[in-house]
Amino acid sequence: MNTIKQNHNDQGHEEHPIVSYREHLSTLVALLLLTVMTVAISVFGSNLRTLSVATALLIASVKALVVAYYFMHLKYDKKLYTWLLLIVGVLFVSFLILTSIEFLNR
Amino acid sequence: MEHSSGFSLPNSGHNRDAEASKMGMWLFLFTELLLFGGLFVVYMVYRLLNHEAFLLSSFELNVTMGTFNTVVLLVSSMTVAMSITAIQKGNAALSIRLLFVTLGAAVVFMVVKYFEWSAKIHHGLFPGQLVFDNLPKGEGLFFFLYFFMTGLHALHIIIGAVLIAVVIYRTRKGLITAEKYTLTENAGLYWHLVDLIWIYLFPLFYLIH
Repeated sequence: MNTIKQNHNDQGHEEHPIVSYREHLSTLVALLLLTVMTVAISVFGSNLRTLSVATALLIASVKALVVAYYFMHLKYDKKLYTWLLLIVGVLFVSFLILTSIEFLNR
Repeated sequence: MEHSSGFSLPNSGHNRDAEASKMGMWLFLFTELLLFGGLFVVYMVYRLLNHEAFLLSSFELNVTMGTFNTVVLLVSSMTVAMSITAIQKGNAALSIRLLFVTLGAAVVFMVVKYFEWSAKIHHGLFPGQLVFDNLPKGEGLFFFLYFFMTGLHALHIIIGAVLIAVVIYRTRKGLITAEKYTLTENAGLYWHLVDLIWIYLFPLFYLIH
């Protein structure tokens, strides 16, 4: 019996804490608030033109991180997944930034 | 391997590996991120080259519909996450119900998308239509990218919905249980990715005026 239990632990499921419904609901509320924020800035703050591009992308990135951290369980998974995502993310974002710097300096 | 020489491992008779499945799913998601990433680079470069045209064209899109769809996807992301909690607690019935809500959200998203696209096509803005063909270069690029990127995203919504339907079927059959729910988790990861891409598509096409 004990060995069977041990085997199940090896499957990797038992170590996962169960995320509560409440935590998922709070995550959604946070995401909705951020959405309201971006739309409001875009619709009512069009005089802040240059600022709004950066803010919109910043808020989108915060939302993406919230989705990855809570909904995609990175908070509870092995840190390896977070590192992998960070490597892909940093690589991609640095390419975006370098490309635009290259463009803007010509 | 029929000629295995009596070599056997003392295991429990099944060879599932939840961790490896999840790792496989994440690696696949990284390729998806880079696929859309490439498109975002194209968007960025064309936007830098055609700043005013992209600004003007973005006013053609319906912010209300876009916002509505954003909310629909965020809610569906939560219901998928909750369905994993439900199956972990052994509540298959609730898990199925929450997955059906997600499926419903996918349908709502596609219906809204249908109305959005029909309006654009009605105005002749689909690549190959008369109005589109006579657009200045910048506006043309905007609408080409709009249709290609939201179209590819919509394709992902359809694939995700099929995946969730499979999860519902297998949960109902008792093949997915509190001890064995890797498929629910992986379908959830895919669905969250679809949400994640929309989180960027929405402000880039609808909001940045």
